[in-house]
Amino acid sequence: MPDSGRKANTVTLTIDGQEVTVPKGTSLLHAAETLGTEVPHYCYHPGLTAPAQCRICLVEVEGAPKLQPSCVTMAQDGQVVHTESPAAKRMRQGVLEFYLVNHPLDCPICDMSGECKLQDYVFDEGREKGRGREPKRVFGRDDFGGDVLYYGDRCVMCTRCVRFMDEVARDSRLTVVDRGSRAVIDTFFDRGLEGASFAGNVVDICPVGALVSKDFLHKARAWDLDHTQSVCPNCSQGCNIELHTRDNLVQRLRPRENQEVNGHWMCDYGRANYEWMNRPGRLEEPAAGRGAKRRAVDWKRVLEHLFVQLREGSGAEVKVVGSASASNEALAGLAAVGGAAGDVSSRVFRSRRAADEVPLPGFPSLVRRRDLAPNVDGAGLLGFERTGDDGGGGGLEDLAGHDGVLVVLGDELADQGEDFGAGASLYVYLGTFDSPAARNADFVLPVTTFAEEEGSFVNAQGRVQRYWQGMQAPGSARPAWLVLGALAAVLGGDGTPASAEDVFAGLVAAHPAFAGLTYDALGDQGAALQKEAAHG
Amino acid sequence: MSEARFQNPGWAGNTGEFDLTEADVRGSDFAGEPPLDGGHPSVAPSLPFMLVKKDPDAPLFEGPYLERFEKIRGRYPTARAALLPALNLAQELRGHVSPETMDEVAGLLGLSDAFVRGVATFYTMYNKRPVGRFLIQVCTNISCNLCGADKVLAAFLEHTGTELGQTSSDGNFTVAEAECLAACGFPTCVQINSRYFEDVSVDDVPAVLERLKREVNDGF
Repeated sequence: MPDSGRKANTVTLTIDGQEVTVPKGTSLLHAAETLGTEVPHYCYHPGLTAPAQCRICLVEVEGAPKLQPSCVTMAQDGQVVHTESPAAKRMRQGVLEFYLVNHPLDCPICDMSGECKLQDYVFDEGREKGRGREPKRVFGRDDFGGDVLYYGDRCVMCTRCVRFMDEVARDSRLTVVDRGSRAVIDTFFDRGLEGASFAGNVVDICPVGALVSKDFLHKARAWDLDHTQSVCPNCSQGCNIELHTRDNLVQRLRPRENQEVNGHWMCDYGRANYEWMNRPGRLEEPAAGRGAKRRAVDWKRVLEHLFVQLREGSGAEVKVVGSASASNEALAGLAAVGGAAGDVSSRVFRSRRAADEVPLPGFPSLVRRRDLAPNVDGAGLLGFERTGDDGGGGGLEDLAGHDGVLVVLGDELADQGEDFGAGASLYVYLGTFDSPAARNADFVLPVTTFAEEEGSFVNAQGRVQRYWQGMQAPGSARPAWLVLGALAAVLGGDGTPASAEDVFAGLVAAHPAFAGLTYDALGDQGAALQKEAAHG
Repeated sequence: MSEARFQNPGWAGNTGEFDLTEADVRGSDFAGEPPLDGGHPSVAPSLPFMLVKKDPDAPLFEGPYLERFEKIRGRYPTARAALLPALNLAQELRGHVSPETMDEVAGLLGLSDAFVRGVATFYTMYNKRPVGRFLIQVCTNISCNLCGADKVLAAFLEHTGTELGQTSSDGNFTVAEAECLAACGFPTCVQINSRYFEDVSVDDVPAVLERLKREVNDGF
């Protein structure tokens, strides 16, 4: 036994009567987590250092003279730990009572209500009634600038926000001002958080309702929100996020942990850019006919007509405009349809590029990238070339007057005039919004945004990541992979794909860069391209 | 010199056995201004100066103060560690630590302005607002309180004509409460600038204030 113990890089201990084996250097808090026991904690956050100052994660360790903070006490061989012993529970109840001495208990008007750790812990193990009879001190609220609002009365002084700005953003703008019951979180007087690029994260990590988002203020209750796993569509970093929706509208974006991509964080730029997903006035019905002759037609007939025209025109020169915001599945379908319709002479996409990258110093793999679209790398792998300027305009000079087949997916052609595609023998426009430049389209097909469909993006690290459907599409808009997959199936003689997963499987077969990947392998954390290709 | 003697309030170490004034024991500079170079390091922190010239607009730092600042910076491995003495120095020069002072000290030490604010506001011995020529801190902690500190405090407020924490109209006095001044054997203890007055009773208050006013008139 001693031999195996010396070699092993693990320790075995007992927590609440259950034996558990964890790697050396694991904290008691994490060891308990592997057993499904959540030890209450405020100041500890997995992405930050642990100061062990909130005193609520104290657990009983047999042999130790006092309760030990489980967030910084490392698991040892043979330790016997009780997280639910009378001593631990009594202590937690006492600590919680102190937390409530000056807490306003304004849960009914607090944004955090429903996802608040103070609410949860007090409900679970707090005293039924407070014994304090003294008046509570009142701070009111403080505008930190940016998107952040501070309610000092609700604060539990865990200093997660201060440590985030110190350690991760490396921009020490927050501090604890004053002491004792007068202590508040604040910036340097009137110098707020304006201009900070990652400050929105302090709202996420605040365990109570002290730091709230102005954008989200009083907008929705936490328990009314549906959470959908997704990928941030606002730059090519592809931060893992959750879409929080209510009434089929995105209410906010929240980062989702992925240590390979974004850790626990996301940038303020990505977080703030979600209103376009809720933009009204969408294309809802498929239509056929140019200009004044345009008529709404149902999907079945529009696809039949389109199929006939594509087959008639086969052999023509085909030019395809894709989009770096479209999924791999849609772009692969677009390439397949283009190829089946004739000789593809150009496959392009346009996307906006920022002047600079915005790195997060404390988590170097997270960078707000220059490319402000999620699938620039996927489009490249699938044979699309970037064209146009950094504003996402221009670059379509030889397409505007093209006389062969023209297929546009997901590009609103905002800078193009009404004569765009006037000379095309066949012009198909798949988009989410109508556009003056779609006036000459023979077919206008409504497709979904990324929030309304399933699919995958390739981020700037060469990582393929899935996203899921969080909203209902308006009218009869359909995912582009389904529309293009159905067309490609008819043209190529295969069956219509039943799911995005089918399309992805086809894509993997056709494109060696994606070799070895499946939706199952991607999971909710994604998988890197090259590594998988090498193994596969 | 003899008329400047005080039986009560006395000074620390005066047991009444010897007919010596404080000036006889400490030298005549005991109530003077702190030396620009900060004094000999071995006693510098405990020198009980009464008179401090405060210039809220004094530059940070110049001449002998710059020398002292650089010495302070050189004594510590990190800029953070040098923050407390640097703020002390700024307060000695300017009388209080204003937001501008915090910002300047942060710039000098290469720390974030918010961090310096956090530190300066944590410690009560940094005055965040301007104070009078004499900052009168009356201990109201337990020993002094039992021996009538509340009345002494009230007497100081009455005779200076100020409210707690405010500065008298002539700019001379600011009266504040202090927690334990570690002179529990001599209640009530009052700290005026950096000097202790011990065994202060309500009746002593006018004499103390008279002495302070005289020192102001004597060329301060």
